[in-house]
Amino acid sequence: MTMDPLNLLLPLLHQMSLCLLVAYALSRTRLFIPLTRATIRWPQRGACYIVFSLFCIMGTLLGFPVILGIANTPAIGAVLGGLLGGPVVGLAVGLTGGLHRYSLGGSFALAAALDIVAQGLLGGLAHLYLIRRGKIRTLFNPFMAGFLTFVGVVIELFIDLAVARPFNEALNTVGLIALPELVANSVGAAMFMEILVDRRELIERQSNAFSAKALAIAARADGVLHTGFNQENSMRVARIIYDQTGVGAVAITDREKILAFIGIGGDHHLPGTPITSPQTLQAIANNQVFYADGNEVSYQCSIVPNCRLGSCLVIPLVGEDRHVIGTIKLYEPKTKLFSTINRTLGEGIAKLLSNQILAGRYEQQKTLLIQAELKLLHAQVNPHFLFNTLNTISAVTDFDPGKARELIGDLSIFLRNNLKRPAEETSLSEEIEHVMAYLRIELARFSGQLSVDIDIPDAFRSVRLPSFTLQPLVENAIKHGTSQLFKAGRVRISARKEDRDLALDVEDNAGLYERRPDDDGLGISLVDRRIKNCYGNSYGVTITCKRDLSTLVTVRVPAGATS
Amino acid sequence: MITVLIVDDEPLARRDLRRALEKSTDIQIQGECGNAIEAIGAVNKERPDVVFLDIEMPRITGIEMLSMLDHKTAPRIVFLTAYDKYAVDAFEKHAFDYLLKPITLDRLENTLCRLRSDRSPQKIGLLPEVNQLRQIPCFGHHLVLLLKIEEVEYVSSTDAGIYVMNVNGEELPTALPLNVLQERTKLLRCHRQFLVNVESIRKMSFLESGLAEFITQQGHTVPISRRFLPRIKERLGIV
Repeated sequence: MTMDPLNLLLPLLHQMSLCLLVAYALSRTRLFIPLTRATIRWPQRGACYIVFSLFCIMGTLLGFPVILGIANTPAIGAVLGGLLGGPVVGLAVGLTGGLHRYSLGGSFALAAALDIVAQGLLGGLAHLYLIRRGKIRTLFNPFMAGFLTFVGVVIELFIDLAVARPFNEALNTVGLIALPELVANSVGAAMFMEILVDRRELIERQSNAFSAKALAIAARADGVLHTGFNQENSMRVARIIYDQTGVGAVAITDREKILAFIGIGGDHHLPGTPITSPQTLQAIANNQVFYADGNEVSYQCSIVPNCRLGSCLVIPLVGEDRHVIGTIKLYEPKTKLFSTINRTLGEGIAKLLSNQILAGRYEQQKTLLIQAELKLLHAQVNPHFLFNTLNTISAVTDFDPGKARELIGDLSIFLRNNLKRPAEETSLSEEIEHVMAYLRIELARFSGQLSVDIDIPDAFRSVRLPSFTLQPLVENAIKHGTSQLFKAGRVRISARKEDRDLALDVEDNAGLYERRPDDDGLGISLVDRRIKNCYGNSYGVTITCKRDLSTLVTVRVPAGATS
Repeated sequence: MITVLIVDDEPLARRDLRRALEKSTDIQIQGECGNAIEAIGAVNKERPDVVFLDIEMPRITGIEMLSMLDHKTAPRIVFLTAYDKYAVDAFEKHAFDYLLKPITLDRLENTLCRLRSDRSPQKIGLLPEVNQLRQIPCFGHHLVLLLKIEEVEYVSSTDAGIYVMNVNGEELPTALPLNVLQERTKLLRCHRQFLVNVESIRKMSFLESGLAEFITQQGHTVPISRRFLPRIKERLGIV
């Protein structure tokens, strides 16, 4: 075979293509992922070193002898190793490749070994330069890689001429290999970089799509299950997941039955029917994710034999104490593969929904607790009050039977209001009526020792507020306030507008308020908690006590809520 | 004739009891009081045979009021309550008389019968709460102050009456006698005319005469009499 540069070019390009083929194959593996970043961390640098050393050695091995030397492509590995991994990696790749080349012997051995070291160093220096300048994009530019390798090969040729002896033959060799090596190495490096960049974009596109889907589902499903894990809410969530993931079908179940089903097979997978699939029951029993890809693990719909669904993912929803409260199921039809993204996404969604259900239960329990306490407060008509009232009526009956009848009427109103199931909200005028019944009894009891002022403008009487808000405050003002005075007591109940809120004031002239840890304090603190629970933390009860002079209890509620 | 004082904070309740008592000819109602402070004054002044005493009253309950009376000279007590299971249990245990409100005439007649036949003194001290005084009622300008024992620096007896010096340097008159305060509080008797709160003593100075005196936190001097000195030295661990 006659040796001329063009004849050499073709086999060298073959060799380069082989390298690129290996590179492409590797790019599908995890080993490649660290290479898609300008690496700064040592583990990634390690990966970089291994991959490019291999390419370097492969480039050398696949070469073929030309007079003194070998026409080959280790420059690709050495330059890219340095370019992506930095000077240290570049030098290491260069030394590894160089030593390997040296071990192969020949009169070009030393020169060729030095070449590779120089090329690794060149890549490393370029890396350092570009990183320092903040030009990461340029670093990944295929033209840059090609150009740098071109320079690397030029340097190689000069080293060859300088080091290899006899000079004449070296010159001959260089003359022959110069063109093919320049072309093959530069194009190879550029294309290698192109594969890398492609791969990087693919990963980014995938993770972008993934996070976009996850975020969209999280945002749309936020709070849906707060109000309870039931058929209606599950249906809404299933719809969101179905829309966002594009899977064949979505189902949500509790421990016994299907709560929601949307998608292919919706004609026989009916919400409200019991779970029949053994996989789902198993997932619930063992708190275990079940995945049947329809290939390795076969999947068959447990309801209808010719159901189009062919693969299924079942993820348990976990509530308190790691107790499984249901499952979420994603399906794909037999014609479609179950994507890994949807599989990961499914598990993420299950976690999200589990948390939501938990948070919802917590909220629910908090509300239940307050309701229970309120019920207690309602039912707990103070026995002192009841007996005192009976005494008062008994005393009045003798000399003023009409007054006694009125008081019995007031007691009835008061008891009826107390025994009534606490409605969520009531109007201020109803609250006042309740309070007035209470006050008329107390006024009779402390006749002359107590006076009450009520100043509520009619405009506020329709404002809505939680029932049983005012009464505990007024009772407190009398029980722990005016009734403890050695002089006449005075209670003033008034309403005023403060910004957009309604402020209700209950003021006594005793000034004996003390924070009581026992049940006596339950009234005020419960009213406060309830209002905060209803309207938020900027509302509630504030207490201003001037010792021995006055206690002012103010309740703030939004004035907007009128009936 | 049995003299009676009615103590209840509710005017209607007083009126009810008065009307019931007036039916008996051998009962003479000396007066009515609406709170414990008034009642202490009335008991000490009028010396009634019997006090009908409501338990639930402003600031000082009926039972607490008893801790402010000298038990040796105290009148017989008939407790009144509408709803106080705990107190009723105690009355039952020590056989004290009590009436549940609203009072019924039968039950009241029962009580009056017992009062007529049994004039032996009551052992009020059997009720545990009445042996411990939590607060000292003092008269301020137009109001009654209830001083907690911790707020007291010393108490002195003068010709004008009993005075309590509080930790704010205010000297306030009280109706409670020194011996009641000595018996039912942790105040220490150091002189015929003085009680001192040990916690507010800053130092004790020994005088050339062999006597000693206390200097309080606020710099007041409280004398120690020869009679009490040994006991005080022992109490304070001074040998």
